Amino acid sequence: MTSPPGNSTEIDSSRADFTPVTDKALAALPLERGAASSVALEGITKSYGPVTAIRDLTLEARAGEFLVLLGPSGCGKTTALRLVAGLEDPTSGTVRIGGRVVNDVDAKDRDVAMVFQSYALYPHLSVGRNIEFPLRARQVPASQRRQLVATVAESLRLEQLLDRKPAQLSGGQRQRVALARAIVRRPRAFLMDEPLSNLDAQLRVQMRAELVELHTRVDITILYVTHDQVEAMTMGQRIAILNEGVLQQLDTPEAVYRRPANAFVAGFVGSPPMNILRGRAVAEDDALWVAVPGGRVGLSPPLVRAVEDRALREVVVGLRPEALSLDPNGTIAAAVSLVELVGHEQHVALRLPGGQLVWIRMGSEAPRMRTGQDVRIAATGTVHLFDPQTGNLIEVGNE
Amino acid sequence: MGARHRARGAHARQRPQSRPLRKAGAAYLFVLPALVAFGVFVFYPLVKTAYLGFFTSPPAPNLPSHYVGLTQYRAVLSSSDFLDSLWRTVQFVLYTVPAGIVLGIGLAMLANQRLAGIRIFRTIYSSTVATSAAVAAVIFFTLLNPQVGLLSYWLGRKGGSGVLQSSSLALPAVSVVTIWQNIGFTFILMSAALQSVPDDLLEAARVDGASSWLRFRSVTIPLLSPMIFFTTIVGVIGGFQSFGQIDILTQGGPNNHTLLLIYDLYQQAFKYDNTGYAAVLSVALFGILLLLTFMQFWFFQRRVFYAR
Ligand SMILES: Nc1ncnc2c1ncn2[C@@H]1O[C@H](COP(=O)(O)OP(=O)(O)O)[C@@H](O)[C@H]1O
Ligand SMILES: [Mg+2]
Repeated sequence: MTSPPGNSTEIDSSRADFTPVTDKALAALPLERGAASSVALEGITKSYGPVTAIRDLTLEARAGEFLVLLGPSGCGKTTALRLVAGLEDPTSGTVRIGGRVVNDVDAKDRDVAMVFQSYALYPHLSVGRNIEFPLRARQVPASQRRQLVATVAESLRLEQLLDRKPAQLSGGQRQRVALARAIVRRPRAFLMDEPLSNLDAQLRVQMRAELVELHTRVDITILYVTHDQVEAMTMGQRIAILNEGVLQQLDTPEAVYRRPANAFVAGFVGSPPMNILRGRAVAEDDALWVAVPGGRVGLSPPLVRAVEDRALREVVVGLRPEALSLDPNGTIAAAVSLVELVGHEQHVALRLPGGQLVWIRMGSEAPRMRTGQDVRIAATGTVHLFDPQTGNLIEVGNE
Repeated sequence: MGARHRARGAHARQRPQSRPLRKAGAAYLFVLPALVAFGVFVFYPLVKTAYLGFFTSPPAPNLPSHYVGLTQYRAVLSSSDFLDSLWRTVQFVLYTVPAGIVLGIGLAMLANQRLAGIRIFRTIYSSTVATSAAVAAVIFFTLLNPQVGLLSYWLGRKGGSGVLQSSSLALPAVSVVTIWQNIGFTFILMSAALQSVPDDLLEAARVDGASSWLRFRSVTIPLLSPMIFFTTIVGVIGGFQSFGQIDILTQGGPNNHTLLLIYDLYQQAFKYDNTGYAAVLSVALFGILLLLTFMQFWFFQRRVFYAR
């Protein structure tokens, strides 16, 4: 009748000794069913009454790919996963798994596995029974079930916990149980909805590495949802960035960082974010400049050509924090607003005369600045040129 | 370090003695009013009733009762009258409690759908809570009336002998009335319990490949189990104490076929003035319910899942 003794005070011992998932254990996962499959959304729109969560979304995770869906909260990431899983029906459009249209296939028959943000572990079942559940649902014989659970439990270091109830586990342990439950039956695709967001920072970094490693060792397709651009950049083979239900860009992390498709992506990916400055194109000192509050930004020849070709008078430029530096002879005047020391480097927020904040990145050995101090900065790195109307990227000018 | 450590240790050793005592005193003070109320209205009558069982009631009023000790207990509890009414009561509980819970869960599942107008059904299903046993009995008394009752007509017994007059159908009929009357209460409890089953667990089970039956059996039912346990206990106790519908529908008839323990007790005490006999039945009823409740706790202990 009484509740089981709580283990909340117990230290998560697994954190200290991070051992990689063993090849042997994973190779032993049999079940020929559900080889890694591609997952595709084609022209998907999903509306809830007046709210359109997803608008004409087309994207594909290739078989065996680790694809990250990235976007701010409320942009439709969870909805996209639920559409793939079959927990929601699209208002219009086609869902394909392994090339086959699955719009009319019930969720239980789609053979994908989902790791919920809440983990959704069955609270009344032990860890072992939780992991076993998908096998029971598919009527796998008991002997094979036991063997599979043991194998997966070993690979995720859960052997000691098999008899515990989820309430007796730490956050990281629960996360691994959810993962074990997903992996135990080798589904066609893994759908993961912000699986690391409930973990503390240290554990998150560790699990990030483990998931990536898992993906390199096992042939699985992963569709991974996060609002954390660091997670996306470090884990994804490709990243799909969503905003307000619309796909902004689908590309490799490098491409997304170097050539963001528009000002939204530029501002969302990278920390601190890219500085987006709006100004007028002016010809001074025999060159074309962008006049911004507090000074001016020089343009490299390709950007000058782009501005002239389009006869732009208003110009939007983007500069990453590392593309700006302190310089007594810099072309822009600003005042120090905030200094963040993050170990190996400093992030300094500067306020331009118009009130806009601009971030710059500096080495940690550079002298600390006082807030309120007046400085001058120079654009020394890559300048991105965006269309002032649409926000789309026009050109990237390398110095 | 040693001195300070010892000092603190002594202090810590002192506290567990004085503090609980003071605390306990306050606790007893708070419990006292309830204890007095229970003592006057429950414990004293209980002891007094058990005591009354030692006396046989006189054949006519105003004559003295006889002290007979345990003899009367032995006689009554081994009599076929008692064993028959006990068996009927057990049947009645077996007819009403499981069916009531199954129906309650079923209706709660139906009313838990996201459908337009579902509130109307929720209201209808809950409505019997607002009816007393007497009202339910009167409604069914009319419906089962062999001359004008709609149910009698549907059952093809119009004009013939009434359902409530049939020795084989009377107890089932009373059971149906009881189920009907209790359904609203069970429905409300099960609906509340059902709403507390997290959607994402059922969705996880669905993605895991579980059929709707497996989801129901392996996720919903375990999470409903505390409520099933509760309604079983309450239902069994309520079943053993069902009185109103019997009194209005059959008064124990025909030919004692709906004479449940509690109705027997009532008649002995207030119709035949057989206080001693009724007292023995009271004590027996108390003992049986106590035993059954313990047995149910024992049975459910390993089968009920509590979230915390
Ligand atoms: N069941 C629902 N009913 C109505 N609106 C919903 C529902 N689910 C999601 N939405 C809306 O759809 C949008 C996208 O939600 P969601 O996919 O959960 O975003 P994300 O996971 O990216 O935070 C939000 O505006 C949200 O309010
Ligand atoms: Mg979400």
